[in-house]
Amino acid sequence: MKDDYLWDKSGQPDPEIQKLEEILGTLRYQPKPLELPVSRRRSYFPLLAIAASLLLALFAAGVWLRVRNQSAPQPRQAEVISTPSPVEEKKPEQIIPKVVQQEVVAVNHKPRHRPVPAALSKSEREEALEAKQQLMMALRLTTEKLSLVHRKNTTPANLIKNQHRVG
Amino acid sequence: MYATADMLLMTPEAHAVEQTPVEVVLVRAVLDGDRDGFARLYDLYAPLVHGILLARVPRAEVDDLVQDIFLHAYKKLHTLRDSAAFGPWIAMIARNRAVDFHRRSRETVEINDDLRGSEAHDSRAAEILELIRSLPEAYRETLVLRLVEGMTGPEIAARTGLTAASVRVNLHRGMKQLREKLGVMEGL
Repeated sequence: MKDDYLWDKSGQPDPEIQKLEEILGTLRYQPKPLELPVSRRRSYFPLLAIAASLLLALFAAGVWLRVRNQSAPQPRQAEVISTPSPVEEKKPEQIIPKVVQQEVVAVNHKPRHRPVPAALSKSEREEALEAKQQLMMALRLTTEKLSLVHRKNTTPANLIKNQHRVG
Repeated sequence: MYATADMLLMTPEAHAVEQTPVEVVLVRAVLDGDRDGFARLYDLYAPLVHGILLARVPRAEVDDLVQDIFLHAYKKLHTLRDSAAFGPWIAMIARNRAVDFHRRSRETVEINDDLRGSEAHDSRAAEILELIRSLPEAYRETLVLRLVEGMTGPEIAARTGLTAASVRVNLHRGMKQLREKLGVMEGL
């Protein structure tokens, strides 16, 4: 039956439908490989780079603070002056235990766990400033490299190439 | 359907796997990270998507859109609730994408005339395709899948999710209208 041929290609073929199949078959789908997006593996490089730059920044800040402290005026050290008590002056013959009044003249709240550095000479200061400038330059370079890495990572690797040609 | 001797010897699990539609197995495999599974789904359903698009958009755009639709489907596969409904799902994506294509074309530049023009004198096939495109939507899609992609009525029903009765009606009414148009064209 002709209807069967149109339905499931069984039965007696309909010549007209066969002719149409032959002509329109030229437009049939031609298999093409599908390009699936590559699944990105998680890269830890940006995180490591950020951590490294943070460490570098901390180190640089520490060095800078140290240089700054060294170039600042010498802090005054707390002085303890022992003054004889008036009692002692008036009665020198009395044997009494020596009571010493301690008078704090100046107090400086600097951390006591490290010795106060001596003042830097001019050449040492210049050297320290140069070191600081080099560190700042290294920091700047690191920042530039980081932003470059960030840009590369944020750029989609597999853009769909089959965009419409419209517009 | 009667059980055969082989089926009786199968374990219940093996029987279940045997009866599971291939789409379901493939969709599950893809969701589990098997990219080759999606390549098989693409091989199975690319003709369907191609036919649906060919019935609606200019030929020059069809191949790119097929790739786009499958890439979209790959990304959104996790949103498919019923794995067995992959065919109707991707068919719907293709129809929606065709509608989007025409909307964007209207919004940007009227290039369809150029594309249609180049198609029109392309070949006899393009002329007949234009006639099919002038038919009602339900008929044109079914006819393209049958006459261009070479699918049978039952295959069209299974892939698109339409009932066999609907496909049969669409095929017969569409073919009748196409014959009338072809007769008019021959007469000119």
